[in-house]
Amino acid sequence: MATSLRSLYEELNRSFAGPKSDLKKCGTLLSQLKIGLIEAGLLIPQGNANPEDLIVARDILEVGAIWSIRSRDEASFDRYFSQLLTFYTDYASALPPSKREYPIRGLNLTRLLTQNRIADFHTTLESLPIPADAIGDNPYIAHPVNLERWLMEGSYHKVWNARTGAPAEEYKYFIESLIGTIRNEIASCEEAAYTTLPMKDAALLLFFDTPSELLTFAQKRGWQIDLTGQTITFARKDEEKKEFPTERLIQSSLLYARELEQIV
Amino acid sequence: MPDVEMKPAASKGAADDKKDAEQKPKEEPIPETPVDEIKGNAALIERGVSTIEPRFIHRALRTLTSLRKKLDETILNTAIEAIYPKDSAIKSSLLSWLPGSHAEKMDVDTSAPSTKPPPEPVPEVEIYLRLLIIYQLLKSQEKHPKALELTQQTVEKMQASNRRSMDPIAAKVWFAVERVYELAADLADARPLFLAAQRTASLRHDDEAQASLINRLLRSYINYSLYDQADKVVSKTTFPESAANPQYARYHYYIGRIKAVQLNYSEAHNNLQQAIRRSPPAKVAPGFYQAVHKLFVIVELLMGDIPDRSLFRHPVLEKALDAYFEIVKAVRAGSLSGFASTLAKHAAQFEADKTYTLIVRLRQNVIKTGIRRLSLSYSRISLKDICLKLHLDSEEDAEYIVGKAIRDGVIEGRIVHEKGWMECGAQKNAYGMEVSELFQRRIGYCLELHNQSVKAMRYPLNAHRKELADAEGARERQKELVKEIEEGDMDDDDMDGDF
Repeated sequence: MATSLRSLYEELNRSFAGPKSDLKKCGTLLSQLKIGLIEAGLLIPQGNANPEDLIVARDILEVGAIWSIRSRDEASFDRYFSQLLTFYTDYASALPPSKREYPIRGLNLTRLLTQNRIADFHTTLESLPIPADAIGDNPYIAHPVNLERWLMEGSYHKVWNARTGAPAEEYKYFIESLIGTIRNEIASCEEAAYTTLPMKDAALLLFFDTPSELLTFAQKRGWQIDLTGQTITFARKDEEKKEFPTERLIQSSLLYARELEQIV
Repeated sequence: MPDVEMKPAASKGAADDKKDAEQKPKEEPIPETPVDEIKGNAALIERGVSTIEPRFIHRALRTLTSLRKKLDETILNTAIEAIYPKDSAIKSSLLSWLPGSHAEKMDVDTSAPSTKPPPEPVPEVEIYLRLLIIYQLLKSQEKHPKALELTQQTVEKMQASNRRSMDPIAAKVWFAVERVYELAADLADARPLFLAAQRTASLRHDDEAQASLINRLLRSYINYSLYDQADKVVSKTTFPESAANPQYARYHYYIGRIKAVQLNYSEAHNNLQQAIRRSPPAKVAPGFYQAVHKLFVIVELLMGDIPDRSLFRHPVLEKALDAYFEIVKAVRAGSLSGFASTLAKHAAQFEADKTYTLIVRLRQNVIKTGIRRLSLSYSRISLKDICLKLHLDSEEDAEYIVGKAIRDGVIEGRIVHEKGWMECGAQKNAYGMEVSELFQRRIGYCLELHNQSVKAMRYPLNAHRKELADAEGARERQKELVKEIEEGDMDDDDMDGDF
């Protein structure tokens, strides 16, 4: 590995370490490093590369992935993660396991969850290299898995409480957008399940601290607010319009006729 | 539990054989000894190649499974000696793979078959014999490396020769390749080989090898839980329509698995049903049958249906599906604690079956069933009681869960927050647009079922010949009758007798 690459790598490590990492500097260093990696043929390694070089390359990409989360760039995280997968799966036997692997995998799962890509979430979960009944023992993976379960069954209160239980700082970034998602979920449930609701309770259910937050949210969803009685009334969904789907019926009848013709 | 781990592989082998076994009774009596059988098959292959009729080769391959079990080294030795001329290079190369072939034995044998030195057989026969040797080598653990070596050589030879008449045998060889790699090395190592071969096969329109190879690839990916890649294989390839039923059954099973992981349960359900329908009789290939049904039960539960009770009484499935039956009972009862304890009890088995993560997803179904039961039995129930009855952790969550169930249309009702209870509404009138849609879906399903069943039917190749012969005979008889009438020596008595 070229010495220039190594010195850049050390510089990246220095500026990334510590509680207050310099995001901007890391960003420029990372793009320089990526070019360096491409020149060294390590960005997408092929064949038998030197394990030590591979570890450095993996380290750089891992820092890149975490840096993307800190600078709130999900697309860039996606790219880093895809590149990292080569190291995690294809070189799993050649390299010592990385201690950042599971945090990053967990972050990826959380990201899929917040983007509501549930099918991808499960596919990714299935391909994790740990046995399914041991998932609960890995805090980084268990966190998104629990979140998904709670979201699916509707235990939103648990999701809300999980904000504080995040296993790593970076998870919090996703949790914020997750809260937005569950607020919308809860709101749609309330529209269906309640006729009226006291404002105080509505704020509680939607995890709002101040009435004004609730008011803006309610206006966005078009709820009727009775300020004097301090209640919210949900508009009932009108009885569905009765329209006779003639065309569809004709189509299906013709289809049946054709099929029957074939059978008889 | 070693037998569970072995199942996919064993079921595959069984899946191949099952069809073969099914059709065997129709065959004319097969030569008694395995040596004769091999010789007969070699002759069949010769004939198939010379007449360009893959039918004969198929017939030779049909006995592969039963033959495989009867093989030993002496049999192979004698057969090879008999098939190849005395000083053929291929013969010695084939024999070198068999440890039983000592030099003196060769001397003894060479003198005997020299009476009728046949011409050098076609390369297809050589590949066929190699296939037999591979299976023979696989029988003992310490010969696995040797089998691997032979397989690699065979594949090279097969690809170098590039003969279309080789295709049916090649499809069988690919299966053996997978088996060898699985037993002797790492299945993942065979993937580049399969990918390259799959490309070649599709370029050459080699349907049989293609069907076999797509299944090999899917299995190789799914074995390592690489569902993303497996899904891409499915979307980038077209499964040849002319593929044999066992290949189809496997293909549907793999797709069912992929779709189930992707939460596309109805698609998974369809595919698994096809797999079951196309699979050989349960007794012939129990492994495959059980594996498909395990997945099928879970997918059905995930769709919100309860599998048929009779399924769990099936003699082949009863024992294998025991743990799954308990899960079904827990889901049906809507009891979260029962579900959790069953899951914990059988975790090892589910993990081995690779259904654990799917079963974990059932948790929400359990809750939904529970809420539904409550809503049917009570007209008004407090959230606290719901919480207690369903073993939920907290009352706050119970409110959200019930709200979600109402929104998702699981139950009809509403929550009165101030009083902290749920009021259950009357059942909706069941006539409306949805009904016609539902009917349409069911009719569509029945039609699809019918069409698929028709497609899955197999006709014996020469059935129409028999009919032709019958017609021929009838015409003959008619002619005779006419002749007799013309000759006028037919009297009333004959008439009575004949008609």
